[in-house]
Amino acid sequence: MESQVKEIIARVLNIPLDKVTDDLSSGDIPEWDSVGNLAIISTIEQELELEFPLEDLFDLTSVLSIVEEVKKLTND
Amino acid sequence: MIDAPHSALLCEITKHAATTPDKVALVDGDCAVTYSQLLDHVRQAACFMQTKGLKHGDRIVLTAQKELPFVYDYLAAHLLGVVNVVVDAASPRDRLDSIIGVVKPAAIFGNGTPDITDIPCYDFQKQDSTCGAALELPRLTADDVADVMFTTGTTGAPKGVCLSHANIAGSAGNTNGFIGMTDHEVEALALPLSHSFGLGRLRCVLMAGSTLVLVSNFANLKSFFTVLDSYHATGFGMVPAVWQYIKRLSGRRIARFADQIRYIEIGSAPLPIEDKRLLLEIFPNTRLCMHYGLTEASRAMFSEFHANVDNLETVGRPASPLVEACVLDEEGNALADGVDGEICISGNMVTRSYFNPDDNKASFHGKWFRTGDWGHRGSDGNFYLTGRKKELINVGGEKVSPATIEDAICSLGYIADCACIAVPDANGVLGEVPKAYLVPKGERVDIEVIKGELAHLLPPHELPVQWEWIDRIPRTASGKIQRLKLKQ
Repeated sequence: MESQVKEIIARVLNIPLDKVTDDLSSGDIPEWDSVGNLAIISTIEQELELEFPLEDLFDLTSVLSIVEEVKKLTND
Repeated sequence: MIDAPHSALLCEITKHAATTPDKVALVDGDCAVTYSQLLDHVRQAACFMQTKGLKHGDRIVLTAQKELPFVYDYLAAHLLGVVNVVVDAASPRDRLDSIIGVVKPAAIFGNGTPDITDIPCYDFQKQDSTCGAALELPRLTADDVADVMFTTGTTGAPKGVCLSHANIAGSAGNTNGFIGMTDHEVEALALPLSHSFGLGRLRCVLMAGSTLVLVSNFANLKSFFTVLDSYHATGFGMVPAVWQYIKRLSGRRIARFADQIRYIEIGSAPLPIEDKRLLLEIFPNTRLCMHYGLTEASRAMFSEFHANVDNLETVGRPASPLVEACVLDEEGNALADGVDGEICISGNMVTRSYFNPDDNKASFHGKWFRTGDWGHRGSDGNFYLTGRKKELINVGGEKVSPATIEDAICSLGYIADCACIAVPDANGVLGEVPKAYLVPKGERVDIEVIKGELAHLLPPHELPVQWEWIDRIPRTASGKIQRLKLKQ
Protein backbone atom coordinates (compact mmCIF):
# COMPACT_ATOMS: atom_id res chain seq x y z
CA MET A 1 0.00 0.00 0.00
CA GLU A 2 2.80 2.37 0.97
CA SER A 3 4.58 1.88 -2.34
CA GLN A 4 1.32 2.35 -4.26
CA VAL A 5 0.64 5.68 -2.51
CA LYS A 6 4.20 6.88 -3.15
CA GLU A 7 3.99 5.84 -6.79
CA ILE A 8 0.77 7.86 -7.21
CA ILE A 9 2.32 10.93 -5.57
CA ALA A 10 5.39 10.70 -7.84
CA ARG A 11 3.24 10.23 -10.93
CA VAL A 12 0.79 13.03 -10.12
CA LEU A 13 3.54 15.52 -9.26
CA ASN A 14 5.69 14.30 -12.15
CA ILE A 15 8.75 13.85 -9.93
CA PRO A 16 11.14 10.87 -9.53
CA LEU A 17 9.96 8.22 -7.07
CA ASP A 18 13.11 8.56 -4.96
CA LYS A 19 12.13 12.16 -4.15
CA VAL A 20 8.95 10.91 -2.49
CA THR A 21 10.40 10.43 1.00
CA ASP A 22 8.28 10.03 4.15
CA ASP A 23 9.01 13.54 5.36
CA LEU A 24 8.33 15.30 2.04
CA SER A 25 5.50 17.73 2.72
CA SER A 26 3.11 19.77 0.65
CA GLY A 27 4.69 23.12 -0.15
CA ASP A 28 8.26 21.71 0.12
CA ILE A 29 8.70 21.58 -3.64
CA PRO A 30 7.11 23.77 -6.33
CA GLU A 31 5.35 20.76 -7.88
CA TRP A 32 3.45 20.07 -4.64
CA ASP A 33 1.29 23.19 -4.65
CA SER A 34 -2.41 23.40 -3.85
CA VAL A 35 -3.43 22.10 -7.27
CA GLY A 36 -0.93 19.23 -6.97
CA ASN A 37 -2.25 18.45 -3.50
CA LEU A 38 -5.84 18.22 -4.73
CA ALA A 39 -4.71 16.03 -7.62
CA ILE A 40 -2.96 13.67 -5.18
CA ILE A 41 -6.07 13.41 -3.01
CA SER A 42 -8.46 12.78 -5.89
CA THR A 43 -6.14 10.31 -7.68
CA ILE A 44 -5.64 8.26 -4.51
CA GLU A 45 -9.40 8.29 -3.85
CA GLN A 46 -10.10 7.17 -7.40
CA GLU A 47 -7.40 4.55 -7.87
CA LEU A 48 -7.53 3.04 -4.38
CA GLU A 49 -11.33 3.32 -4.24
CA LEU A 50 -11.54 5.11 -0.92
CA GLU A 51 -12.72 8.45 0.38
CA PHE A 52 -10.78 10.62 2.79
CA PRO A 53 -13.04 11.96 5.57
CA LEU A 54 -13.36 15.74 5.18
CA GLU A 55 -12.16 16.40 8.71
CA ASP A 56 -8.91 14.51 7.99
CA LEU A 57 -7.93 16.38 4.79
CA PHE A 58 -6.44 19.29 6.74
CA ASP A 59 -3.90 16.98 8.38
CA LEU A 60 -2.72 15.25 5.21
CA THR A 61 0.33 17.43 4.79
CA SER A 62 3.15 14.93 4.22
CA VAL A 63 3.85 11.67 2.41
CA LEU A 64 3.90 9.86 5.75
CA SER A 65 0.57 11.32 6.89
CA ILE A 66 -1.08 10.32 3.61
CA VAL A 67 0.36 6.80 3.78
CA GLU A 68 -0.82 6.42 7.40
CA GLU A 69 -4.30 7.70 6.51
CA VAL A 70 -4.62 5.30 3.58
CA LYS A 71 -3.50 2.42 5.81
CA LYS A 72 -6.12 3.41 8.37
CA LEU A 73 -8.88 3.62 5.78
CA THR A 74 -7.99 0.30 4.15
CA ASN A 75 -7.23 -1.49 7.43
CA ASP A 76 -3.82 -2.31 5.99
CA MET B 1 21.16 56.19 2.16
CA ILE B 2 20.11 55.33 -1.34
CA ASP B 3 19.46 58.11 -3.78
CA ALA B 4 16.92 56.86 -6.29
CA PRO B 5 14.45 59.65 -7.06
CA HIS B 6 13.18 57.72 -10.10
CA SER B 7 11.81 54.93 -7.90
CA ALA B 8 9.12 55.87 -5.40
CA LEU B 9 9.34 52.30 -4.12
CA LEU B 10 13.06 52.62 -3.28
CA CYS B 11 12.46 56.10 -1.86
CA GLU B 12 9.84 54.74 0.53
CA ILE B 13 12.07 51.83 1.59
CA THR B 14 14.92 54.30 2.19
CA LYS B 15 12.58 56.44 4.27
CA HIS B 16 11.52 53.43 6.36
CA ALA B 17 15.17 52.45 6.83
CA ALA B 18 15.83 55.93 8.19
CA THR B 19 12.76 56.29 10.40
CA THR B 20 12.23 52.68 11.53
CA PRO B 21 15.59 50.97 10.84
CA ASP B 22 14.93 48.03 13.17
CA LYS B 23 11.45 47.30 11.92
CA VAL B 24 11.28 43.88 10.26
CA ALA B 25 10.63 44.19 6.53
CA LEU B 26 10.86 40.57 5.44
CA VAL B 27 10.75 37.16 7.08
CA ASP B 28 11.79 33.94 5.38
CA GLY B 29 11.83 30.93 7.70
CA ASP B 30 14.19 31.70 10.57
CA CYS B 31 15.62 34.78 8.89
CA ALA B 32 14.17 38.22 9.62
CA VAL B 33 15.49 41.26 7.74
CA THR B 34 14.97 44.79 9.02
CA TYR B 35 14.43 47.79 6.75
CA SER B 36 17.97 48.94 7.48
CA GLN B 37 19.37 45.51 6.59
CA LEU B 38 17.17 45.33 3.50
CA LEU B 39 18.69 48.52 2.19
CA ASP B 40 22.22 47.17 2.82
CA HIS B 41 21.40 43.96 0.97
CA VAL B 42 19.97 45.92 -1.97
CA ARG B 43 23.12 48.04 -2.08
CA GLN B 44 25.33 44.92 -2.00
CA ALA B 45 23.31 43.25 -4.74
CA ALA B 46 23.55 46.41 -6.87
CA CYS B 47 27.29 46.47 -6.27
CA PHE B 48 27.53 42.84 -7.40
CA MET B 49 25.57 43.61 -10.56
CA GLN B 50 27.73 46.65 -11.25
CA THR B 51 30.97 44.65 -10.92
CA LYS B 52 29.53 42.21 -13.45
CA GLY B 53 29.17 45.07 -15.89
CA LEU B 54 25.40 45.43 -15.71
CA LYS B 55 24.24 48.94 -16.40
CA HIS B 56 21.24 51.17 -17.11
CA GLY B 57 19.17 49.78 -19.96
CA ASP B 58 20.45 46.21 -19.67
CA ARG B 59 17.88 43.54 -19.08
CA ILE B 60 18.21 40.65 -16.68
CA VAL B 61 16.02 37.58 -16.45
CA LEU B 62 15.15 37.10 -12.78
CA THR B 63 13.68 33.71 -11.97
CA ALA B 64 11.17 34.34 -9.22
CA GLN B 65 11.82 32.10 -6.26
CA LYS B 66 10.24 33.06 -3.01
CA GLU B 67 13.39 33.84 -1.11
CA LEU B 68 15.17 36.90 0.16
CA PRO B 69 17.94 37.19 -2.48
CA PHE B 70 15.24 37.47 -5.16
CA VAL B 71 13.92 40.59 -3.41
CA TYR B 72 17.44 42.06 -3.08
CA ASP B 73 18.24 41.50 -6.76
CA TYR B 74 14.84 42.74 -7.87
CA LEU B 75 15.27 46.04 -6.02
CA ALA B 76 18.98 46.32 -6.89
CA ALA B 77 18.11 46.26 -10.58
CA HIS B 78 15.65 49.11 -10.00
CA LEU B 79 18.40 51.09 -8.32
CA LEU B 80 20.76 50.67 -11.26
CA GLY B 81 18.17 51.14 -13.97
CA VAL B 82 18.61 47.52 -15.03
CA VAL B 83 15.30 46.11 -16.29
CA ASN B 84 13.93 43.05 -14.50
CA VAL B 85 12.32 40.41 -16.66
CA VAL B 86 10.59 38.37 -13.97
CA VAL B 87 9.81 34.78 -14.91
CA ASP B 88 8.44 31.79 -13.05
CA ALA B 89 11.28 29.60 -11.78
CA ALA B 90 9.27 26.59 -12.94
CA SER B 91 8.71 27.89 -16.49
CA PRO B 92 8.95 25.21 -19.15
CA ARG B 93 12.28 25.47 -20.96
CA ASP B 94 10.73 26.42 -24.31
CA ARG B 95 8.85 29.34 -22.73
CA LEU B 96 12.04 30.50 -21.03
CA ASP B 97 13.97 30.16 -24.28
CA SER B 98 11.33 32.15 -26.11
CA ILE B 99 11.47 34.97 -23.54
CA ILE B 100 15.28 34.97 -23.60
CA GLY B 101 15.18 35.12 -27.39
CA VAL B 102 12.93 38.16 -27.27
CA VAL B 103 14.51 40.22 -24.48
CA LYS B 104 18.15 39.22 -25.06
CA PRO B 105 19.15 39.55 -21.40
CA ALA B 106 22.64 40.57 -20.30
CA ALA B 107 22.45 38.04 -17.45
CA ILE B 108 20.18 35.55 -15.72
CA PHE B 109 19.72 35.51 -11.95
CA GLY B 110 18.15 32.75 -9.90
CA ASN B 111 18.69 29.38 -8.33
CA GLY B 112 19.53 26.47 -10.56
CA THR B 113 19.69 28.83 -13.49
CA PRO B 114 19.48 27.08 -16.84
CA ASP B 115 22.54 26.02 -18.72
CA ILE B 116 22.76 28.73 -21.36
CA THR B 117 26.30 29.07 -22.54
CA ASP B 118 26.32 32.53 -24.07
CA ILE B 119 24.58 34.40 -21.21
CA PRO B 120 26.17 34.81 -17.76
CA CYS B 121 24.06 33.08 -15.09
CA TYR B 122 24.34 34.01 -11.42
CA ASP B 123 23.01 31.84 -8.65
CA PHE B 124 21.23 33.72 -5.85
CA GLN B 125 23.31 31.99 -3.18
CA LYS B 126 26.68 32.45 -4.82
CA GLN B 127 26.71 36.21 -5.15
CA ASP B 128 29.50 38.04 -3.37
CA SER B 129 27.83 39.82 -0.44
CA THR B 130 30.85 41.84 0.60
CA CYS B 131 31.16 44.06 -2.41
CA GLY B 132 32.79 47.33 -1.39
CA ALA B 133 32.89 49.28 -4.62
CA ALA B 134 31.09 52.62 -4.77
CA LEU B 135 27.83 52.60 -6.65
CA GLU B 136 27.67 54.72 -9.77
CA LEU B 137 24.03 55.52 -10.19
CA PRO B 138 22.78 56.78 -13.53
CA ARG B 139 20.19 59.53 -13.89
CA LEU B 140 16.84 57.91 -14.42
CA THR B 141 13.27 59.05 -14.58
CA ALA B 142 10.12 57.52 -13.16
CA ASP B 143 9.09 56.70 -16.74
CA ASP B 144 12.10 54.43 -17.29
CA VAL B 145 11.11 50.77 -17.56
CA ALA B 146 11.54 48.92 -14.28
CA ASP B 147 10.06 45.50 -15.03
CA VAL B 148 8.95 43.47 -18.00
CA MET B 149 6.30 40.91 -17.12
CA PHE B 150 5.27 38.33 -19.69
CA THR B 151 1.59 37.52 -20.05
CA THR B 152 -0.21 34.98 -22.14
CA GLY B 153 -1.22 36.39 -25.50
CA THR B 154 -4.29 35.07 -27.30
CA THR B 155 -2.11 33.63 -30.04
CA GLY B 156 -0.12 31.69 -27.48
CA ALA B 157 3.05 33.75 -27.87
CA PRO B 158 3.89 35.48 -24.57
CA LYS B 159 3.65 39.28 -24.61
CA GLY B 160 6.11 41.36 -22.61
CA VAL B 161 4.45 44.17 -20.64
CA CYS B 162 6.79 47.08 -19.88
CA LEU B 163 6.08 48.63 -16.47
CA SER B 164 7.82 51.85 -15.49
CA HIS B 165 8.96 52.80 -11.99
CA ALA B 166 5.95 55.15 -11.92
CA ASN B 167 3.60 52.32 -12.94
CA ILE B 168 4.64 49.89 -10.20
CA ALA B 169 4.70 52.54 -7.49
CA GLY B 170 1.41 53.92 -8.77
CA SER B 171 -0.26 50.53 -8.53
CA ALA B 172 1.08 49.96 -5.00
CA GLY B 173 -0.04 53.44 -3.91
CA ASN B 174 -3.54 52.97 -5.37
CA THR B 175 -3.86 49.55 -3.75
CA ASN B 176 -2.57 50.62 -0.34
CA GLY B 177 -4.89 53.58 -0.38
CA PHE B 178 -7.93 51.46 -1.17
CA ILE B 179 -7.11 48.69 1.30
CA GLY B 180 -6.11 51.16 3.99
CA MET B 181 -2.67 49.64 4.57
CA THR B 182 -0.77 51.05 7.53
CA ASP B 183 2.85 50.64 8.56
CA HIS B 184 1.98 48.08 11.22
CA GLU B 185 0.59 45.32 9.04
CA VAL B 186 2.06 41.84 8.98
CA GLU B 187 1.22 40.08 5.74
CA ALA B 188 1.59 36.37 4.94
CA LEU B 189 2.56 36.02 1.26
CA ALA B 190 1.81 32.58 -0.17
CA LEU B 191 1.13 33.82 -3.71
CA PRO B 192 3.86 33.27 -6.32
CA LEU B 193 6.24 36.20 -6.86
CA SER B 194 6.41 35.47 -10.58
CA HIS B 195 2.90 36.81 -11.05
CA SER B 196 1.77 40.39 -11.08
CA PHE B 197 -0.46 39.78 -8.01
CA GLY B 198 2.20 38.30 -5.70
CA LEU B 199 4.93 40.70 -6.80
CA GLY B 200 2.48 43.55 -6.33
CA ARG B 201 1.79 42.44 -2.74
CA LEU B 202 5.55 42.54 -2.04
CA ARG B 203 5.72 46.13 -3.30
CA CYS B 204 2.59 47.19 -1.40
CA VAL B 205 3.94 45.92 1.92
CA LEU B 206 7.40 47.48 1.43
CA MET B 207 5.89 50.79 0.29
CA ALA B 208 3.75 50.84 3.43
CA GLY B 209 6.69 50.05 5.73
CA SER B 210 5.02 46.89 7.01
CA THR B 211 6.27 43.33 7.44
CA LEU B 212 6.01 40.56 4.83
CA VAL B 213 6.33 36.91 5.84
CA LEU B 214 7.22 34.66 2.89
CA VAL B 215 5.31 31.35 2.79
CA SER B 216 6.17 28.80 0.08
CA ASN B 217 2.55 28.40 -1.15
CA PHE B 218 -0.93 27.52 0.05
CA ALA B 219 -0.54 23.75 -0.40
CA ASN B 220 0.22 23.12 3.27
CA LEU B 221 -2.62 25.01 4.94
CA LYS B 222 -1.45 23.86 8.34
CA SER B 223 1.82 25.75 7.78
CA PHE B 224 -0.04 28.78 6.43
CA PHE B 225 -2.29 28.87 9.51
CA THR B 226 0.74 28.47 11.76
CA VAL B 227 2.28 31.54 10.12
CA LEU B 228 -0.96 33.51 10.59
CA ASP B 229 -0.89 32.47 14.23
CA SER B 230 2.76 32.88 15.15
CA TYR B 231 3.30 36.22 13.37
CA HIS B 232 -0.17 37.47 14.25
CA ALA B 233 -0.66 38.29 10.56
CA THR B 234 -3.10 41.07 9.73
CA GLY B 235 -3.57 40.37 6.03
CA PHE B 236 -2.95 38.16 3.01
CA GLY B 237 -3.74 37.91 -0.69
CA MET B 238 -5.37 35.00 -2.46
CA VAL B 239 -6.87 33.98 -5.79
CA PRO B 240 -10.39 32.45 -5.90
CA ALA B 241 -8.96 28.95 -6.50
CA VAL B 242 -7.09 29.23 -3.20
CA TRP B 243 -10.32 30.12 -1.42
CA GLN B 244 -11.95 26.97 -2.85
CA TYR B 245 -8.92 25.02 -1.64
CA ILE B 246 -9.09 26.54 1.85
CA LYS B 247 -12.79 25.69 2.06
CA ARG B 248 -12.32 22.15 0.80
CA LEU B 249 -9.38 21.23 3.00
CA SER B 250 -9.98 23.20 6.14
CA GLY B 251 -13.70 23.90 6.28
CA ARG B 252 -14.22 26.97 8.47
CA ARG B 253 -11.00 26.65 10.47
CA ILE B 254 -9.81 29.98 9.05
CA ALA B 255 -12.62 31.72 10.97
CA ARG B 256 -10.51 31.66 14.12
CA PHE B 257 -8.28 34.33 12.53
CA ALA B 258 -11.21 36.63 11.73
CA ASP B 259 -10.46 39.05 14.56
CA GLN B 260 -6.82 39.55 13.58
CA ILE B 261 -7.09 39.67 9.76
CA ARG B 262 -7.69 43.32 8.83
CA TYR B 263 -7.63 42.82 5.06
CA ILE B 264 -7.68 40.18 2.35
CA GLU B 265 -6.91 41.12 -1.24
CA ILE B 266 -8.53 38.83 -3.79
CA GLY B 267 -8.05 38.85 -7.55
CA SER B 268 -6.98 37.24 -10.86
CA ALA B 269 -10.27 35.43 -11.54
CA PRO B 270 -13.99 35.79 -10.77
CA LEU B 271 -15.25 34.70 -7.34
CA PRO B 272 -18.78 33.24 -7.14
CA ILE B 273 -21.31 35.38 -5.25
CA GLU B 274 -21.94 32.62 -2.69
CA ASP B 275 -18.25 32.66 -1.80
CA LYS B 276 -18.34 36.43 -1.37
CA ARG B 277 -21.26 35.94 1.03
CA LEU B 278 -19.39 33.24 2.92
CA LEU B 279 -16.35 35.49 3.28
CA LEU B 280 -18.60 38.30 4.56
CA GLU B 281 -19.97 35.92 7.17
CA ILE B 282 -16.60 34.50 8.25
CA PHE B 283 -14.81 37.87 8.23
CA PRO B 284 -17.34 40.43 9.51
CA ASN B 285 -14.70 43.04 10.33
CA THR B 286 -12.11 42.42 7.60
CA ARG B 287 -11.71 44.59 4.52
CA LEU B 288 -12.44 42.10 1.73
CA CYS B 289 -10.93 43.87 -1.28
CA MET B 290 -11.34 42.27 -4.68
CA HIS B 291 -9.41 43.82 -7.51
CA TYR B 292 -10.10 43.82 -11.19
CA GLY B 293 -7.16 44.36 -13.46
CA LEU B 294 -4.48 42.75 -15.55
CA THR B 295 -0.71 42.98 -15.73
CA GLU B 296 -0.99 45.88 -18.20
CA ALA B 297 -3.33 47.82 -15.87
CA SER B 298 -2.70 46.36 -12.45
CA ARG B 299 -5.43 46.74 -9.82
CA ALA B 300 -7.49 49.04 -12.02
CA MET B 301 -10.67 48.70 -9.98
CA PHE B 302 -11.60 47.52 -6.52
CA SER B 303 -14.74 46.40 -4.79
CA GLU B 304 -14.91 45.94 -1.01
CA PHE B 305 -17.54 43.34 -0.18
CA HIS B 306 -18.86 44.87 3.06
CA ALA B 307 -19.34 48.22 1.30
CA ASN B 308 -21.15 46.49 -1.59
CA VAL B 309 -23.06 43.89 0.35
CA ASP B 310 -26.19 44.44 -1.76
CA ASN B 311 -24.25 44.63 -4.99
CA LEU B 312 -21.70 41.82 -5.00
CA GLU B 313 -21.86 41.44 -8.80
CA THR B 314 -19.83 44.55 -9.48
CA VAL B 315 -16.07 44.60 -10.09
CA GLY B 316 -16.17 48.01 -8.43
CA ARG B 317 -14.82 51.39 -9.36
CA PRO B 318 -11.42 52.79 -10.27
CA ALA B 319 -8.89 52.08 -7.53
CA SER B 320 -8.03 55.72 -6.87
CA PRO B 321 -8.62 59.24 -8.22
CA LEU B 322 -5.53 58.62 -10.37
CA VAL B 323 -7.29 55.86 -12.31
CA GLU B 324 -10.08 56.21 -14.87
CA ALA B 325 -12.24 53.56 -16.48
CA CYS B 326 -14.70 53.80 -19.36
CA VAL B 327 -16.57 51.63 -21.83
CA LEU B 328 -15.79 52.07 -25.53
CA ASP B 329 -17.03 50.54 -28.77
CA GLU B 330 -14.75 48.97 -31.40
CA GLU B 331 -13.96 52.40 -32.89
CA GLY B 332 -13.08 53.88 -29.52
CA ASN B 333 -16.30 55.86 -29.01
CA ALA B 334 -17.61 56.22 -25.47
CA LEU B 335 -20.76 54.26 -24.70
CA ALA B 336 -23.59 55.31 -22.41
CA ASP B 337 -24.11 53.80 -18.97
CA GLY B 338 -25.71 50.39 -19.18
CA VAL B 339 -24.45 49.68 -22.71
CA ASP B 340 -21.99 46.82 -23.09
CA GLY B 341 -18.66 47.49 -24.74
CA GLU B 342 -14.97 47.04 -24.03
CA ILE B 343 -13.75 48.10 -20.59
CA CYS B 344 -10.84 50.50 -21.06
CA ILE B 345 -8.49 51.87 -18.42
CA SER B 346 -6.23 54.86 -18.05
CA GLY B 347 -4.10 55.78 -15.06
CA ASN B 348 -0.77 55.94 -13.30
CA MET B 349 -0.29 52.16 -13.32
CA VAL B 350 -1.18 51.52 -16.99
CA THR B 351 1.67 50.33 -19.22
CA ARG B 352 2.71 52.65 -22.01
CA SER B 353 3.95 49.91 -24.28
CA TYR B 354 4.53 46.24 -24.79
CA PHE B 355 8.11 45.10 -25.18
CA ASN B 356 7.35 44.48 -28.82
CA PRO B 357 5.69 47.74 -30.00
CA ASP B 358 3.81 45.75 -32.67
CA ASP B 359 1.68 44.41 -29.82
CA ASN B 360 0.49 47.96 -29.04
CA LYS B 361 -1.51 48.27 -32.25
CA ALA B 362 -4.78 46.76 -31.09
CA SER B 363 -4.23 47.48 -27.41
CA PHE B 364 -4.92 51.18 -27.06
CA HIS B 365 -7.55 53.77 -28.01
CA GLY B 366 -5.46 56.90 -27.44
CA LYS B 367 -4.73 57.03 -23.70
CA TRP B 368 -7.11 54.16 -23.00
CA PHE B 369 -5.76 50.64 -22.56
CA ARG B 370 -8.14 48.06 -24.00
CA THR B 371 -8.63 45.23 -21.50
CA GLY B 372 -10.37 42.83 -23.88
CA ASP B 373 -13.07 42.42 -21.23
CA TRP B 374 -16.69 43.16 -22.07
CA GLY B 375 -19.00 44.99 -19.72
CA HIS B 376 -20.73 48.24 -18.82
CA ARG B 377 -20.88 50.97 -16.26
CA GLY B 378 -24.06 50.99 -14.23
CA SER B 379 -26.00 54.12 -13.36
CA ASP B 380 -24.52 53.72 -9.85
CA GLY B 381 -21.04 54.35 -11.29
CA ASN B 382 -19.92 50.77 -10.66
CA PHE B 383 -18.58 48.58 -13.44
CA TYR B 384 -19.97 45.17 -14.37
CA LEU B 385 -18.28 42.47 -16.47
CA THR B 386 -20.46 40.53 -18.87
CA GLY B 387 -17.98 38.59 -20.95
CA ARG B 388 -14.51 38.27 -22.24
CA LYS B 389 -13.42 39.24 -25.69
CA LYS B 390 -10.10 37.51 -25.39
CA GLU B 391 -10.29 33.76 -25.60
CA LEU B 392 -7.95 32.94 -22.73
CA ILE B 393 -8.82 30.15 -20.31
CA ASN B 394 -8.49 31.24 -16.67
CA VAL B 395 -7.27 28.14 -14.80
CA GLY B 396 -7.30 29.15 -11.15
CA GLY B 397 -5.86 32.57 -12.05
CA GLU B 398 -3.33 31.21 -14.58
CA LYS B 399 -4.23 32.53 -18.03
CA VAL B 400 -3.89 29.86 -20.68
CA SER B 401 -4.06 30.42 -24.41
CA PRO B 402 -6.14 27.76 -26.22
CA ALA B 403 -3.75 28.14 -29.16
CA THR B 404 -0.82 26.94 -27.04
CA ILE B 405 -2.65 23.74 -26.15
CA GLU B 406 -3.91 23.23 -29.71
CA ASP B 407 -0.41 23.64 -31.15
CA ALA B 408 0.99 21.14 -28.66
CA ILE B 409 -1.71 18.55 -29.39
CA CYS B 410 -1.37 18.96 -33.16
CA SER B 411 2.43 18.65 -32.92
CA LEU B 412 1.99 15.06 -31.68
CA GLY B 413 0.77 14.09 -35.16
CA TYR B 414 -2.09 11.80 -34.01
CA ILE B 415 -5.04 13.96 -35.02
CA ALA B 416 -6.34 15.89 -38.03
CA ASP B 417 -7.51 19.00 -36.16
CA CYS B 418 -8.32 20.20 -32.68
CA ALA B 419 -9.70 23.11 -30.67
CA CYS B 420 -9.73 23.98 -26.99
CA ILE B 421 -12.25 25.94 -24.96
CA ALA B 422 -12.80 26.80 -21.30
CA VAL B 423 -15.28 24.68 -19.37
CA PRO B 424 -16.25 25.00 -15.68
CA ASP B 425 -14.05 22.94 -13.33
CA ALA B 426 -16.21 20.05 -12.18
CA ASN B 427 -14.40 20.08 -8.83
CA GLY B 428 -15.44 23.68 -8.29
CA VAL B 429 -11.89 24.74 -7.46
CA LEU B 430 -10.12 26.17 -10.49
CA GLY B 431 -13.02 28.11 -12.02
CA GLU B 432 -12.19 27.12 -15.60
CA VAL B 433 -10.27 24.20 -17.06
CA PRO B 434 -9.38 23.42 -20.70
CA LYS B 435 -11.46 21.03 -22.77
CA ALA B 436 -10.05 19.65 -26.02
CA TYR B 437 -12.06 18.67 -29.09
CA LEU B 438 -10.23 16.29 -31.40
CA VAL B 439 -10.81 15.34 -35.02
CA PRO B 440 -9.37 11.87 -35.72
CA LYS B 441 -6.80 11.27 -38.42
CA GLY B 442 -8.00 7.85 -39.59
CA GLU B 443 -8.31 5.61 -36.56
CA ARG B 444 -8.79 7.21 -33.14
CA VAL B 445 -5.74 7.13 -30.93
CA ASP B 446 -6.17 6.28 -27.23
CA ILE B 447 -6.65 9.60 -25.37
CA GLU B 448 -4.36 8.30 -22.63
CA VAL B 449 -1.51 8.14 -25.15
CA ILE B 450 -2.11 11.77 -26.13
CA LYS B 451 -2.37 12.84 -22.47
CA GLY B 452 0.85 11.04 -21.60
CA GLU B 453 2.84 12.69 -24.37
CA LEU B 454 1.27 16.08 -23.81
CA ALA B 455 2.42 16.05 -20.18
CA HIS B 456 5.98 16.45 -21.49
CA LEU B 457 5.05 19.50 -23.56
CA LEU B 458 2.78 21.54 -21.31
CA PRO B 459 2.74 22.53 -17.63
CA PRO B 460 0.02 20.73 -15.58
CA HIS B 461 -2.46 23.63 -15.56
CA GLU B 462 -2.45 23.73 -19.38
CA LEU B 463 -3.36 20.05 -19.79
CA PRO B 464 -6.98 19.53 -20.93
CA VAL B 465 -9.21 17.98 -18.28
CA GLN B 466 -12.00 16.99 -20.67
CA TRP B 467 -11.65 15.42 -24.11
CA GLU B 468 -14.14 14.80 -26.88
CA TRP B 469 -13.90 13.41 -30.41
CA ILE B 470 -15.85 15.31 -33.07
CA ASP B 471 -16.11 15.11 -36.85
CA ARG B 472 -14.91 18.62 -37.59
CA ILE B 473 -13.91 21.84 -35.82
CA PRO B 474 -16.29 24.71 -36.64
CA ARG B 475 -14.27 27.43 -38.38
CA THR B 476 -15.02 30.74 -40.08
CA ALA B 477 -14.36 31.21 -43.79
CA SER B 478 -10.96 32.60 -42.89
CA GLY B 479 -10.18 29.51 -40.83
CA LYS B 480 -10.64 30.97 -37.34
CA ILE B 481 -12.00 28.53 -34.77
CA GLN B 482 -15.58 29.33 -33.73
CA ARG B 483 -15.22 28.55 -30.06
CA LEU B 484 -18.66 29.84 -29.14
CA LYS B 485 -20.21 27.13 -31.32
CA LEU B 486 -18.20 24.52 -29.44
CA LYS B 487 -19.46 25.91 -26.14
CA GLN B 488 -23.03 25.62 -27.37
